[in-house]
Amino acid sequence: MKKLGQKIFGWIDERVHMDDLLEFMGKKYVPINSHSIWYYFGGVSLFLFLIQVITGIMLLLYYKGSEELAYESIQFIMSKVEFGWLVRSIHSWAANLFVLAAMIHMFSVYFTKSYRKPREITWLTGMLMFFLALAFGFSGYLLPWNELSFFATKVGTDIVGVLPLVGKPMLEFLRSGEDVTGATLSRFFGFHVAVFPGIFTVLLGIHLLLVQRQGMSEPLGHEGAAHDEEKRMPFFPNFILRDLLLWLLILNLIALLAVFFPWELGQKADLFAAAPAGIKPEWYFLFMFQTLKYLPAQILFVDGELVGILFFGLAGLLWTLVPFWDRKSSRGERNHLVNYLGLGAVLYIILLTILGWLA
Amino acid sequence: MFLVAIAAAALLVVGSGVARSEDQCVTCHRLLGDDPSRLFARDIHAAAGVSCAGCHGGDPTAEDPEAAMSPSAGFVGVPTGDSTTAMCAACHSSPARMKEFGTALPTDQQEQLSASVHGSPSLSGGRQILQCTSCHQAHGIVSVREPSSPVHPLRVVQTCTRCHADASYMRNYNPSLPVDQLSKYRTSVHGVRNAGGDSRTAQCASCHGGHEIRRANDVNSSVYPSNLPATCASCHSDATLMAAYGLPTDQLELFTQSVHGVALLEKGDLGAPACNDCHGNHGAAPPGVESVSHVCGTCHALNAELFAESPHKTAFDALGLPECETCHGNHDIIVATDALLGNDAEAVCSQCHDATSNPRGYAVAGTMRRLVDTLARAEEDARLLVEDAEQKGMEITEAKFTLRDARQARLEGRTMVHSFNEEKFKEVISKGLVASASAATEATEAIDEYHFRRFGLGVSTLIISSLALALFLTLRRIEKKPRPPRAPIPTHQQQGEEQ
Repeated sequence: MKKLGQKIFGWIDERVHMDDLLEFMGKKYVPINSHSIWYYFGGVSLFLFLIQVITGIMLLLYYKGSEELAYESIQFIMSKVEFGWLVRSIHSWAANLFVLAAMIHMFSVYFTKSYRKPREITWLTGMLMFFLALAFGFSGYLLPWNELSFFATKVGTDIVGVLPLVGKPMLEFLRSGEDVTGATLSRFFGFHVAVFPGIFTVLLGIHLLLVQRQGMSEPLGHEGAAHDEEKRMPFFPNFILRDLLLWLLILNLIALLAVFFPWELGQKADLFAAAPAGIKPEWYFLFMFQTLKYLPAQILFVDGELVGILFFGLAGLLWTLVPFWDRKSSRGERNHLVNYLGLGAVLYIILLTILGWLA
Repeated sequence: MFLVAIAAAALLVVGSGVARSEDQCVTCHRLLGDDPSRLFARDIHAAAGVSCAGCHGGDPTAEDPEAAMSPSAGFVGVPTGDSTTAMCAACHSSPARMKEFGTALPTDQQEQLSASVHGSPSLSGGRQILQCTSCHQAHGIVSVREPSSPVHPLRVVQTCTRCHADASYMRNYNPSLPVDQLSKYRTSVHGVRNAGGDSRTAQCASCHGGHEIRRANDVNSSVYPSNLPATCASCHSDATLMAAYGLPTDQLELFTQSVHGVALLEKGDLGAPACNDCHGNHGAAPPGVESVSHVCGTCHALNAELFAESPHKTAFDALGLPECETCHGNHDIIVATDALLGNDAEAVCSQCHDATSNPRGYAVAGTMRRLVDTLARAEEDARLLVEDAEQKGMEITEAKFTLRDARQARLEGRTMVHSFNEEKFKEVISKGLVASASAATEATEAIDEYHFRRFGLGVSTLIISSLALALFLTLRRIEKKPRPPRAPIPTHQQQGEEQ
């Protein structure tokens, strides 16, 4: 068996020169420090994204993205297709865990200042992927065409319409018309399975390439892996095996969630029914939704909701551009302002999410 | 309108103080021999001391007609349009004025009239449809208790139908409103007694009200479906009044508890029958033995049709039994349960059928009850299984639909009972039993699937955990090995410099 493996490897190596790659991987090390745990969340996010791709393709074999058939096709998947219930539940649970893992990964990179030079592009591609993950969640939420998703999409897209000048055209573009209809479903479906995955794959390629090329960042004050054998571990096989071990544990967790808490389908959306009480977006949008609810109708003669949207837009932009205005960290100096801002953002998100959940 | 009312009040103050012997209006108009002066002589207002000037103004003491009917003396002539009603209301809406005349008449008539359907604008739009004088006349007004009054119970029907039986007039206001109320009324028990001189029986105003009449579809109307039982009961629950006719007075009480009463009065289902749906409204009459099934059959059409073709039809006719009422009652119809069927003491079948005198019917009733009980049990068992599967989080929509078929069959069975045909009944019940069995099978499969999922999860968790353990041990083995010394790793900056 071993000989056969060597034979196959030799056959491939003869053609594509695998030894170069092996040499590169053999040299690659991962720093060991008190923040090493955060290195794993990138891999976890990648694993969850791969699960989404695989289960998404499986669902695509049976899902029908039309107003008349979307709900029924999910019903069919869950009751008639062999293991369809499992695939759908895994897709829904993994989607939420993916956003969570990406969020943890993003915050850990922020707090360890790993975005600093020379990793600005890695950070930017990561942030764009994070926004895309949210867009994946928003568009995917509508696809079962059930009561909750229909009204949540209505409320969510309504918020966009508040923006001056561009609000209405954006709303009509998102909805493919003035209201959320079957045309919106088709549009969201197209974005969810074609447009977003295409862009995401390109960004992911760049992101992974940069991570491999530049290696793992060392947090400020924990440098020294390059010179100290004790402060690093080989990427292959040590880090890869640790990653795999974590992925297996997460796979176990997803299986448990899918079996014990199968994702519900609810009632089919009725375009003419009144919105049920307590419509809420997915948990990762809840803090913004709750903030908009707390804002008064008018703030200094400006629409309160508009102020909220502009605030979150601006905050998101500043957050994305942090490598360019946090010059101190790039120089290797401590920047407490960045820490306080990040801590404030985390506490705000947690508090408002809890309040939104309890509301 | 307000100015007219003030002017009228002022006129009445002047007019009412004039003694009849000095009233030059009457003196002259009598000489002219016109109807107003002739009729006013017997008018209730004249008896109360209200003179012509009370409504028309002018100076009733002046002998010169020009001076008497001079605008400077406040003469307003013949009031027209809404000023007529305002003129009457000047006294009739004033508790103080009415007290002066020593009458206890209510003072909200104008208010009620304005809010009523007759207070709506007329075709011209310049005035409301009816004025006080439209029903009460202008001169010669007598007490409503006087048989000569146009609004006396024995005459009010003719007064109302002056307009309401006139198709061309009614078309202007409500083309869909029938104009045959009077002819129908005359066929009713109320109408017949009224025509015979019984002023206590119901006439138009008894049900529709006097001044406050509203459209029948107005929720405040006394004849709105949910208000109608109380309206009828205002007489039919009056023990003193009904004693004269030998009628019971518990109809409303029974109806309120009945399936129809609960639907109409508690659940607000306006499709449920009120009194008039069975007894008629203008042609109100109690349905007879022969007609009761037709009355019930207007809504319960299939039941009535099946019963008409059943052997019971002939038997009931021969015995002179009312068809539906014999088993279901009339005002106190309760929800029909399966307990009505069968040959035990509770069942209505056993009122006529027993094992000795009518063994065939007795046996069929027993069989039908057993069948319907079997279906109810099967449906209940299937429902519990479906609920269990649903609680376990299984997708069970199809089984729920199948369960609906079983319920539908049970309801169809309740209708089919009225054919009293065992074979037809069995056929319907069988459909329900098949549907129940199918739902139960689907639910059982879903529950099995639920257990299989947990078993599968256990197996997969075991496999994944074993893999994880193997990986962990491999990792430990690798990490325990001493690492070969290596050269320092070039940092990114150093790599850049090298390049």
